Amino acid sequence: MGMCVLDSAESVFCRADIISTVEFNYSGELLATGDKGGRVVIFQREQESKNRPLSRGEYNVYSTFQSHEPEFDYLKSLEIEEKINKIRWLPQQNAAHFLLSTNDKTIKLWKISERDKRAEGYNLKDEDGRLRDPFRITTLRVPVLMPMDLMVEASPRRIFANAHTYHINSISVNSDHETYLSADDLRINLWHLEITDRSFNIVDIKPANMEELTEVITAAECHPHQCNVFVYSSSKGTIRLCDMRAAALCDRHSKFFEEPEDPSSRSFFSEIISSISDVKFSHSGRYMMTRDYLSVKVWDLNMENRPVETYQVHEYLRSKLCSLYENDCIFDKFECCWNGSDSAIMTGSYNNFFRMFDRNTRRDITLEASRENSKPRAMLKPRKVCTGGKRKKDEISVDSLDFNKKILHTAWHPKENVIAVAATNNLYIFQDKIN
Amino acid sequence: MGARGLKRKVHESNEGEGSVWQSQLQSVLDISWDKFQRDQALVEPSLLRSVLINNTLRQVQSEVRTSLSGISGPRKLQAPPRVLPELRSQRECTPAGLGASICSLGLENMEDDFMAWSTDEDFSLSSAISAILKNLDAALDGGPSVPQRSALASVENIPGDGRYRQSLTFSHKTESCRTSEGGAPASMSGFLQDATIDDLLLDIDTSVFNGEVNSFGSGTFSFPADELVRYLPSLSSSPSAPSSSGSREMHELEHIMDILVRT
Repeated sequence: MGMCVLDSAESVFCRADIISTVEFNYSGELLATGDKGGRVVIFQREQESKNRPLSRGEYNVYSTFQSHEPEFDYLKSLEIEEKINKIRWLPQQNAAHFLLSTNDKTIKLWKISERDKRAEGYNLKDEDGRLRDPFRITTLRVPVLMPMDLMVEASPRRIFANAHTYHINSISVNSDHETYLSADDLRINLWHLEITDRSFNIVDIKPANMEELTEVITAAECHPHQCNVFVYSSSKGTIRLCDMRAAALCDRHSKFFEEPEDPSSRSFFSEIISSISDVKFSHSGRYMMTRDYLSVKVWDLNMENRPVETYQVHEYLRSKLCSLYENDCIFDKFECCWNGSDSAIMTGSYNNFFRMFDRNTRRDITLEASRENSKPRAMLKPRKVCTGGKRKKDEISVDSLDFNKKILHTAWHPKENVIAVAATNNLYIFQDKIN
Repeated sequence: MGARGLKRKVHESNEGEGSVWQSQLQSVLDISWDKFQRDQALVEPSLLRSVLINNTLRQVQSEVRTSLSGISGPRKLQAPPRVLPELRSQRECTPAGLGASICSLGLENMEDDFMAWSTDEDFSLSSAISAILKNLDAALDGGPSVPQRSALASVENIPGDGRYRQSLTFSHKTESCRTSEGGAPASMSGFLQDATIDDLLLDIDTSVFNGEVNSFGSGTFSFPADELVRYLPSLSSSPSAPSSSGSREMHELEHIMDILVRT
């Protein structure tokens, strides 16, 4: 499959709050988004039907609920943000859908279920709920299930709280579908989905003397197939792979991935830009991908000393690092994602640009998620950043980039070429053009 | 004729490179320091951000040290110590323990001859960094070593009982010292036994300093030595049973006093 050119469906959703996470479920039928206000909005793909051939697989709002509320930590006298940091779906086991959503401190398991039938004909109460006068009941009837308008209900089934002192940055469901891990800056805990009052601490990098702290955990993920393996990345650009069979406490890693630093490009910001903001296993489980400030790297799990592929996302920013440090953009945490076949990867950038790389052809493309470019069925035009010299007609110069428009969260449908791109408080859904 | 009016420039190329590096070092230091201060004023600075900024500051520090060791002659300390105007701003002065106040005393002119401040700057920087990170943890370091985590021991969720923990915050180290030593009511000591010390250590941070420092009431935070001493005597009046934490506090405060005396 070649590099896909995308057109857009009528899928631009604007909301009041900044979107903070985007995730497709295992089938791709559902797309969940979380925002800064603690809300989760789930979109569902329309079934393609002969009656409406043009609405081929559009996403529409399926359910909206308030997942987290702001809380107050009495010990520290500060508010715990309700912003949803991550959403992860559970594999579907019955008619209902389950997902985990987390803010800085608390993880919740939500059940999303449909109700399209209602019982009518109760003996003891009227249709509007009022109790019937018992003396007036002369016959016994059996309530009948009648169809009703589809109602989608979200209910919290488990609340996993009070296990993290620091801010949770990752959750990941294990391939055993029974456990999941949650990671904060210094610790990783392993939970059982049924048990909320305790968790196992499996990684703890908190030094005995906090003065010695120089490195924190930035992301963690379970291996897609081996339920005993997980990885976590650090602020120093390293990834540690741990095997839970080796020891109960995984402070010692099984594998340690780090690329030696290029001495010629060393600067005051080398460490900051090497900090890994996201780590994702490939669907195959053979590779993993890491995102640091300027690049995306693909690692072979069997080779620890360097990545097998490196893709520059926006190398033109390297000369601007000091300004980006000053305006805090250098601390932005970009995510990255694989396509279903692991042949392509995608990540976001500034100016509402996002980048896609084809691993086979080594071609890359820059696209923009903006209202102007997103007329229905419109083709997305490739964008280019001019790095110096003469600016060509459609190019945009580095200095004109809008650093407030950042695409931090993207998601790729597990099977098809459908992508979801979150640009501040707009969600764009793009689909592959099929002739 | 023309040569007479021409200024001779010694080591022109060296100075050119050096000044570029110098200005870069300067801006990184300025920006980092500014961020560090702003973050300390926040109730809960992001740990990742703090660590990255601290590491950058450390890097700047070591660069300065290396360059100092390679420098000789007239570029050494010249400018007399001078407190940075912005560091005097009392509201901004961070409650990151006494270490930060030492910075305000020890930091010198950073604008032009930044080499000049380097030795004192090194020290005050490192003490500032140490203070920040230490205050991310608690000084309620009341016991011997942190109990070992046992394998497969699950971490019981600590009930979030704010009442007891609130009183364990430390306005300054001596008070907390007293609390842990046994001035605590029975209920609190029971709580201490139930919760592991390690868990307690986790949850105390500099936010409590904000309230406490302001409650000291003074407008200026120039921290002259005698004002500082005012807060110290409470240590000497504390019960005579020195716990390990008590002696440690004493040692640290003596250390701080040494610095003040030196400056």
